[in-house]
Amino acid sequence: MRARDLRRTAALSIRRVALSAVVAGLAACGGGGGARGTAAPNPLSAAAALGESIFHDTALSASGLQSCATCHVESRAFAGDDGLAVPLGGPEMDLPGFRNAPSLMYVSFTPAFHIESDGSPNGGAFRDGRARDLVAQALQPFVTPFEMANADAAEVVARLRTRPYLDDFVALYGADVLDDPDTALQRIASAVAAYEREDVDFRPFSSKFDAFRAGRAELSSKELNGLRLFNDPTRGNCAACHPSASADGKTPALFTDFSYDNLGLPRNAMIPANDDATTLADVRFNSGDGVHTYYDAGLCGPFRTDQQGISRSVCGAFKVPTLRNVALTAPYFHNGVFATLHDALAFYVTRDTRPASWYPVAADDRVVKFDDLEAIYGGAFTVDPTVPGSDVGYVGNVNTTEIPYNRLIGEAPSLTSDEIDDVVAFLCTLTDGYDPAHPESAPVTAECPAASG
Amino acid sequence: MTNDTLRPRALAVLLLSVVLCASATAAEPGELADQVAALLKRVDTLEADVKRLTSQNEALVAQQERQDQRIESAETAPPSQFENLSIWGYGETYYARPDNGSSETTADLARAVFGLGYRFDERTRFDSEFEVEHAVASADDEGEVEVEQFYVDHNLTDRVGVEAGLFLMPVGLLNEHHEPTAFYGVKRNFVETLIVPSTWREGGIGIHGDTAGGIVWNAGVTTGLDFSGWEFTLDEPPYKTALELVSTDVAPMQAGHQELQLADAQHLAQYAMLAYRGLPGLEVGAFAFTGNAAVPDAPANAHGQRVTLLEGHVRWTPGDADLSALYARGTISDTGAYNLANVGASNLMPASFDGYYVQGAYTVWRHNAYRLVPFARWESYDMASSYHGVPDGFSPIPTGPTATGEPWPRPNDRVWTFGANFYVTSNVVVKADYQWFDNNDFDTIDLGLGVTF
Repeated sequence: MRARDLRRTAALSIRRVALSAVVAGLAACGGGGGARGTAAPNPLSAAAALGESIFHDTALSASGLQSCATCHVESRAFAGDDGLAVPLGGPEMDLPGFRNAPSLMYVSFTPAFHIESDGSPNGGAFRDGRARDLVAQALQPFVTPFEMANADAAEVVARLRTRPYLDDFVALYGADVLDDPDTALQRIASAVAAYEREDVDFRPFSSKFDAFRAGRAELSSKELNGLRLFNDPTRGNCAACHPSASADGKTPALFTDFSYDNLGLPRNAMIPANDDATTLADVRFNSGDGVHTYYDAGLCGPFRTDQQGISRSVCGAFKVPTLRNVALTAPYFHNGVFATLHDALAFYVTRDTRPASWYPVAADDRVVKFDDLEAIYGGAFTVDPTVPGSDVGYVGNVNTTEIPYNRLIGEAPSLTSDEIDDVVAFLCTLTDGYDPAHPESAPVTAECPAASG
Repeated sequence: MTNDTLRPRALAVLLLSVVLCASATAAEPGELADQVAALLKRVDTLEADVKRLTSQNEALVAQQERQDQRIESAETAPPSQFENLSIWGYGETYYARPDNGSSETTADLARAVFGLGYRFDERTRFDSEFEVEHAVASADDEGEVEVEQFYVDHNLTDRVGVEAGLFLMPVGLLNEHHEPTAFYGVKRNFVETLIVPSTWREGGIGIHGDTAGGIVWNAGVTTGLDFSGWEFTLDEPPYKTALELVSTDVAPMQAGHQELQLADAQHLAQYAMLAYRGLPGLEVGAFAFTGNAAVPDAPANAHGQRVTLLEGHVRWTPGDADLSALYARGTISDTGAYNLANVGASNLMPASFDGYYVQGAYTVWRHNAYRLVPFARWESYDMASSYHGVPDGFSPIPTGPTATGEPWPRPNDRVWTFGANFYVTSNVVVKADYQWFDNNDFDTIDLGLGVTF
């Protein structure tokens, strides 16, 4: 993995590498399961071309080893490819982050962070929406101590002055901007955002599902059943937050409504910051509840603090991500707690019917549900899995009212295991790069074997 | 004046003296005095009569002069703008208490409607109707303000006229006569709300007429239906009570009619109506409508769609009875591809929908303007009598319970309605009814107040 990064850095250190060569190089390094949909690159504006160079340039990091593309790998739908719950970064590339790197595919459709008329938060970049838009998001990793680890904007600008595309930067933004580091960093971020917006590789809409919706492909019976369960509001009810139809009649389905939800995910012990004995410097301890000293509470902190004062009901809520290319973006959820799609879906339907499968079991055989949320927000909800009714009357931030996670102990889950397999088969159709004329060339992953009809 | 009073007096005295002289030899002196006195008395009476007649004459002359003046001024003054203006309106208030949940009891100012009409000349008139539904209309409120009619009607001959603008479709018994005093029951009947989408209006041009034999006809070209915004995915049932059923615009033609609101006019529709009203108290009518519709967005470039509605009715009012029956059936072509692209969604597009009712009402009591009219109605409606494009083994309606535990409502039902209209005057009606539903748990008691002017 690291060797591959060094190969890329060497390729980019050649001056004035042509755009198509960069793209071809990435395709060669991408390995199997590519998420590329187009053969010919679309022409990018000068800012977007610059942004592409910056996106892949590890020399802008303190370690010299990390660029945006390190954690947002094109062949993995611009998500992580290290299989870890949280990526490593920092000056020595040994500091763990705090959240699973999200896919950057289709990010240009995310609205700016705002509060809807019914009071619910919507949009924004990062899993907690703390960056209002793509530009605000792109500049943060440059100066985050456990990511690209520049001390400040001035250090980034100092590195920028050594890069081969400096002339392109100055041609676009002027030489004066280099004297104002904060503005220069802002310009760097806008170039990256332009690349994310303009390059059609971020939004190919070339999945088997897109072909099906266009009437150019048929789904297998398993995939069709999976889509049916996905859409049925009394079964999977997935489309309620992950719409499978166009929102505006023109843009194909984005499989997210950019809203926020609290699923009560289990605490992931594989995240070093979740270790109560951690000595990591960047952990923002935010709890004195006597159980844990740090909780990732999403909208309500610790990486943003502006929403907590507005409503405590947002604590523990994270943004609904797109499901496009979800077969490529394991592990899943903000804390990367599930490695497979089957586990993620099984959690949705049996979180409440079989809580012992997901949460810590205490000494008295009772289960501590929602253990990654402070009790004051509805976390640490202790139930007896052998006593139906011991989980009635939950009050808290975790969503327990919408299908499929509105069940109680002992009730039947909303989907059987076979039905979960069918929904996984459907989710596999959301991977870009499907050619209706050559269906056998569809990307294959562990959970998405070659189509068998 | 003086001469006039004196002249008769002088004449009388002259006559008197002539008479006296003529009869001087015949009369005694005492008799003579009596005769003179009587004659003088007659003269006085005559004098008074003449005086009275003269003053009367003078008064008449003065009146005539004033009238002449008025006529003159009326002829030269500008005409009053209220002469040709007609103002009319109606309104309905409902109280609905479902048996299945008194928490759903609702009271609503269902409609407040005002109409303005203007007659330009003997042949040409304008009429308009404005409606406020549910009392308060704003972005955050449930109500709507809409223009339901806005058209000009011009008589080409005594028998044939043409209308253009936004006008009511000449369909059924309720669509053109939907004031609360014109129908039985608190709410409009389901067939003429869900199958025939009263109040159904389109923009276009129509030609209409009648014959001496009692045939009435109407035909025209109008805007058509638009299904491009068809909401295949509803996360929750669109209605939970009978009142919501008639208020949420989810029936096929309700969802598609455009109300001349920036309407898609690429696909026009045609209609024709024929009725017989030659016998007093009897109406027999039939209606047909057909046109291409704008289609949903996915799959793109799929087949166009045609919507057709056929309707027939009869109404007979012998004496105090009011009997009616109506049948309507609609079809939407080529729904298969659109339904398949949305498999599992809760609101697929039906291929056909139909309904019929029979109703009887009888005035049992009158006193001055009071009139009590009990009625009974049996109706059957099916908003989705068939579907195309649903794979074998799949259900077009969600099969599981909703998050609140009820089944998803069925789109078809049979309803008995028993109740009475009590007319305080012919313009004010108090209504009550009870409705029994076969399929859905919507049994309800309703009370209503209606006013027309």
